Amino acid sequence: MNNISENNLETNSRRDFFKKTAAYSVSAITAAAVLAPSKLLADDENITHHTKWGTTLGDELNKHPYGIPSKYEHNIVRRTSSLMSSAGDMHAAVSMCPLHELEGIITPNGLHFTRTHNGVAHVDPNKFRLMIHGLVKKPLVLTLDQLKRYPSETRTLFLECPANGAAEWKGPQFNSLQFVKGMMSNAEWTGVRLSVILDDLGLKPEAKWMLAEGSDGSEMSRTIPVEKVLDDAMIVWAQNGEALRPEQGYPVRLMLPGWEANLCIKYLKRLEFGENPWYCKEETSKYTVLTASGKAIQHFYPLEVNSIITSPCPEKPWTDVQKGDLVEIEGIAWSGHGTISNVDLSMDGGKNWFQANLKGLVLPKSWTRFSFMYRYEGKPLLLQSRAEDDSDNIQPTVNQEKAVIGVEGVYHRNSICTWEVNDMGEVNNVQVRS
Amino acid sequence: MFKLDHKSIVITAALVASTTLFTGCFGTSNIAESYNGSVDALDGGVTYPRENGIETAYAYNTQDVSGVNHGRVPTPNELKAWDADIMPDGTGLPEGSGSVELGDELYESQCASCHGEFGAGGKGYPTLAGGSLDSLTNQRTAPGMDAPKRTFGSYWPQASTMIWYIRDAMPYAHPKSLSNDELYALTAYLLNVNEISIDGVEVDDEYVLDREKFLKIKMPNREGFYPNIDGPNGVENVRAFFADRPKNIGAGTKCMEDCKDPNILDGNKEATVMRIGMEISNVVPAYSTVRDLPVEAGTSAKSETEKLYDANCALCHATDAMGAPAVGDHDTWATVVAQGMDKVNSNAINGFGGMPAKGGNMDLTDAQVIDIVKFMVDSSK
Repeated sequence: MNNISENNLETNSRRDFFKKTAAYSVSAITAAAVLAPSKLLADDENITHHTKWGTTLGDELNKHPYGIPSKYEHNIVRRTSSLMSSAGDMHAAVSMCPLHELEGIITPNGLHFTRTHNGVAHVDPNKFRLMIHGLVKKPLVLTLDQLKRYPSETRTLFLECPANGAAEWKGPQFNSLQFVKGMMSNAEWTGVRLSVILDDLGLKPEAKWMLAEGSDGSEMSRTIPVEKVLDDAMIVWAQNGEALRPEQGYPVRLMLPGWEANLCIKYLKRLEFGENPWYCKEETSKYTVLTASGKAIQHFYPLEVNSIITSPCPEKPWTDVQKGDLVEIEGIAWSGHGTISNVDLSMDGGKNWFQANLKGLVLPKSWTRFSFMYRYEGKPLLLQSRAEDDSDNIQPTVNQEKAVIGVEGVYHRNSICTWEVNDMGEVNNVQVRS
Repeated sequence: MFKLDHKSIVITAALVASTTLFTGCFGTSNIAESYNGSVDALDGGVTYPRENGIETAYAYNTQDVSGVNHGRVPTPNELKAWDADIMPDGTGLPEGSGSVELGDELYESQCASCHGEFGAGGKGYPTLAGGSLDSLTNQRTAPGMDAPKRTFGSYWPQASTMIWYIRDAMPYAHPKSLSNDELYALTAYLLNVNEISIDGVEVDDEYVLDREKFLKIKMPNREGFYPNIDGPNGVENVRAFFADRPKNIGAGTKCMEDCKDPNILDGNKEATVMRIGMEISNVVPAYSTVRDLPVEAGTSAKSETEKLYDANCALCHATDAMGAPAVGDHDTWATVVAQGMDKVNSNAINGFGGMPAKGGNMDLTDAQVIDIVKFMVDSSK
């Protein structure tokens, strides 16, 4: 059964050889580097033996009417920390997106970061109603089916909690990409532009603000300027081609492209237009940025230009990369102010910079991938990325942000992150600051 | 002639500058620029034109959608039921009254388990009292320094926010369950523990709060926020705030070589690498990027009996350190079982030697104890 000839093995590249002998001792690898590879080739059982899955019948295809990932991928999950909750209570907490395992710019729905203030609500779509009223000529009540009758548009947008990275104002605390920047995700959202509905309702000119209110136990509410509502706000009911997940506000949430995810009210129930702001709990007691002056910034809507290197990162180090290997440095850049126009990289903690390449779709208010091929020298590095957008924003250093805000702002931290790559290829979260 | 030359020099310089700018973006083919955005959004960002069926990278349906309408007008009762938000000017504020004394009782029974005695916090839920305006300038730039204390009394700009939030979102496990009088009582209690006076009158234990008095509350940190969003200029103040982002929220600088961080004020002070001091690593599930077979569901999902074993018996029986037969110890349990199961069960129910009856938990039924013994025996075969 296993009569695979030596000749077949010899066609394998030297590169494959290294991969397959990853478990060998360091001395064996050193020896391999010296001797001709053909003399040392060990048979890889994964090639010389038939596999279990190749010699047995697989599952029936209808085993999972709604598909699930391979059982080998069970570590690719959202993670929580009792620090980011009230006393470990997972009704009012946040779960972090595993950014280190994501590819491209779409976050699978089961991995989308989640923040809840009173648990994940389960809204009955048949009992869902949306009310729009206040300073409009014609107030409105819609069922879910009626709402979905409006013409839809689809946009790929990021959602980020403004507290993303909040644990690190005073210094690095988590040695993990997932916990340093995982309070965000990026998805394709489908719904109706709010301006289309309002066109028929007749918004009165004195309407300056809109209250958006959710129907869950926290009755989440926020005040939003009408100017944003008319620019690009949407009411969305679909996420990556299917209904919103309950964690993301099923059946309907507000979507304000580029603005705080907290403003994008989940389990949406009511929109009221008025002349004055409402002073909701989550725009006063929380989601305000206390500065060193003792005064706090309120109504701080957009997520500022930002970026993070996703490979390498603490979870995905370069410990298996050999000196001389050409490796890809990859990352994500995003800006709530517009579209990413450029990303620069530094390997010496911000003293010298060079340009990275953008790759894939470059969309407004969406994650944008960047890439740089690097010849690994085995020397320690201080890796940084610095993003720019088309409204002339440049991502600040830790010191530049600290000089304006201080260290107690909690929210809207977008300063440059640093991964320290040590001489073993291990990656640690550090900060360059004074 | 000189003037002309001068002008051409300026133009050349401008050209060089713009070339440099473009070079900065060269290689990325500057897709962002092709979207023709204008930097005129309220937040200081870009708005994009919708023209000829194209908006940035997206196509859209150019057919006229005006006149599309669905749904119906809400009834007056429906509006009354949902339009119940409470605003700083008193809009939506219900009629009712409640005393600090009643609020104290309600707080003790429904709030203190999370928010602590007198709103002092605890267990990680929000602290409701004990802050101070002075603390808001605290900056923890070194270990051991005090944090700013952002509580209802020291931080919140409007009292309406609190009464609205309590009515709709509290008590945590059963929101929207308080009567209007209870709502005023709890709000009165929070004013009391935050030492907030109304119209010069201390909100003491005897105080009774009602709608009229509530409207006179002035929150200590009312002026603690910017930009000013109130009045007819509110939105324009927001626009002005975001227009000066380097000053108001911080911005980076474009530097490519030999860059010095401009915010290192002391010329001799170099930025240094700060490493993690105390790593926060208690995450759930634990960090892992391994692609292996998951732990079988059967071993992670515990039976009710196993949970009872964990709660009542494992303390002594998990190891033989306490002199009790250790679960999993095949030989010892073979000796135990040799007595006959009736005897073993009887010992477990009634106590034997150093072992208390039912492991010390008299709430267990005999049947439960027998199930647990069976689990322990089976786990030791």
